Amino acid sequence: MNPPGPETADARLARWQRLSPWAVGLLLITSGLSLIRQHLPLLLGAGAGLALVERVGLRELALGGALLLLLAVLLSLLYYRRFRFRLEGEVLVIQKGLFEHREFKVSAAHVQHIAVHQPAYMRPFGVVQWQLETLAGEASRIELPGIRREIAEALGRRLRGASDAAQQAAAEDAGEADEAPRVRFAITPGALALHGLTSRSVYVVAAMLSPLVQPLERWVHDHLPHLDLRAWLPASAPLAVALGILAVVAALALLSVLAAWWRFHGYVLRDEGDRQVQVSGLFHRQEQVLTLSRLQVVEWVQTGLGRLLGRGYLVCHQFGALGGGEAAEARRFLVPGLSSAQGRELSAVLWPGLSMRQPLARVTRLYRRVLFWRLLLGLAAALLGLGALVGPASLAPMTWGLLAAGLLPLAAGLAQLRWLALGWAREGDYLRVRQGLWGQRTSLFPLRSLVSASVQQSWLQRRRGVATLRLHLANGRVTLPFLACDDAYALANRLLASVEADQAA
Amino acid sequence: MPFTNDPLDLDSLPALEQAPLTPVSPRLAPCQAVSLLGRWALVTLLVLFFPVQHEAAAEWQLVAATAVALVGLAAVGLGWVEARRRAYGVREHDLIYRRGLLVRRTQVLPLVRLQHVETLSNPVERAFGLVRLACFTAGGRGADLLLEGLPASRAEAVKQHLLARLEGTSPSSSEAP
Repeated sequence: MNPPGPETADARLARWQRLSPWAVGLLLITSGLSLIRQHLPLLLGAGAGLALVERVGLRELALGGALLLLLAVLLSLLYYRRFRFRLEGEVLVIQKGLFEHREFKVSAAHVQHIAVHQPAYMRPFGVVQWQLETLAGEASRIELPGIRREIAEALGRRLRGASDAAQQAAAEDAGEADEAPRVRFAITPGALALHGLTSRSVYVVAAMLSPLVQPLERWVHDHLPHLDLRAWLPASAPLAVALGILAVVAALALLSVLAAWWRFHGYVLRDEGDRQVQVSGLFHRQEQVLTLSRLQVVEWVQTGLGRLLGRGYLVCHQFGALGGGEAAEARRFLVPGLSSAQGRELSAVLWPGLSMRQPLARVTRLYRRVLFWRLLLGLAAALLGLGALVGPASLAPMTWGLLAAGLLPLAAGLAQLRWLALGWAREGDYLRVRQGLWGQRTSLFPLRSLVSASVQQSWLQRRRGVATLRLHLANGRVTLPFLACDDAYALANRLLASVEADQAA
Repeated sequence: MPFTNDPLDLDSLPALEQAPLTPVSPRLAPCQAVSLLGRWALVTLLVLFFPVQHEAAAEWQLVAATAVALVGLAAVGLGWVEARRRAYGVREHDLIYRRGLLVRRTQVLPLVRLQHVETLSNPVERAFGLVRLACFTAGGRGADLLLEGLPASRAEAVKQHLLARLEGTSPSSSEAP
């Protein structure tokens, strides 16, 4: 009789498992970093931190901090003791809770997305953060905050394996041999730098840093009074302003490139049949798995600068990816630093049969006229507001006249550009909708991905025989305004029929 | 299973614009009117009794409150007419709801997207015997379709039909109301 060998990770999952013992310390670090990240602007902003130190005293503050740390350690230990998980067949069971005991059960059939994160401080211990999302989306996210990598891999394999079993069986029946995973896309340093420059992270960086500007200015003023900054500025005021703007833009560009390196360094997208696996991150390694059968919408995104440089990125949406803005977008399955050709090629992999070569149809010209009037009214109101703010006497009557006359061509030009930017095309079983004036976002999705549809008509639209079609998708809403009424209803009927036909199949 | 991709006959697709719709309960109009009257009365009272320090502004308080009350009455009137025009339809594969007076909106929810159904009613609705039916889809943050103005018995019947579809029973076994 052979002696029992070391138990495999798969076998261990059938019994209750705890988090890694390192997870206690790592939980503290993760929570501490998260707290600092969330409250740093509050503490530094408007000198609130300094005022707190002066009022309470440094020693008392340190004592309070030590007590809080002790409490956090005790709570983390309790959290560790209460947290356990195991696999019961194809169901992941998690029990946790400090003061209120909770039990979560997730069936493999409902798993939509699995992500594995490994911050730099977890690497020496071989511990990872493991996250799972069900079809209910981000609100349903369940996290194992510190487990051994082999356990994480076994867990992912088991949960994915259960849902893929049917597909694999079908592939075997069809005589298809297992294909080795192949690299679909790997980012180059140049493409990464271009992604940093052309992505929207520049706005995120600017928003994150904006609360720090005032404290920094005060600190420089208080601690470095010998640096006579005014002496460094050029004598000409416009030149100083231009140089200042240039410096801010350069700093933001540099920071967004660094952010891109932080997030997407070493980005590799592997094709594993129905699964697309991406791994990236300079210090914080992140692995995300996208199951193609769960994919709902792919977005091809190009910022204004990205369009000039011919660069963009793809965002893959599953259910529950509503809202969240640019910061949330970075957490999604995002393929960065693509040229237009690479974007088309990869879209065709994600949506077989989609070429993106069919020209986009435009909505009716009435939309352009409506846009013109809206813009003209908005601009006129802004000009009147400006007049009330600075006073009519602040500018010569001729200047006011020129400004007023300029509104007309400006509104007409913007309306024309916005009308041209909006377009849609149906390519076989797919729909492509492009929106955006400067930066553009093109939604690519199969007709069967529709969640619900609505047709809207104002009294003007009813008189002119046009309608606005709103398509509700897994990632939000796509609007096609002022379509010819027949087109709007025909498209809605086709979409609804595709949803039903897909379900029947 | 062999993969098929047969083309659809576009002319034979069920037309959304021709779907027969059933008007919601006529009791929705007075129910909406009572709710709106309550809200606008509250706003009017707030404007009337708000402690204004400036004497000149205080003289206009009654005029402002009257104006708010008139706007409120107009909103109640429009709400009444709008409620009388609402309609819904339950087809074999989807649920349709049409609402709006100046801007008319027809919403369609395919039943395969449905995840769960809820019925809701506030005290005013209960007084009129009305129920709201909220339909939720996967991943949504709120109700994707809110069907207002159904009599309680009709709402229960529609809910049972939708639940039967959710459970995968044959649609023919549960008659659409």
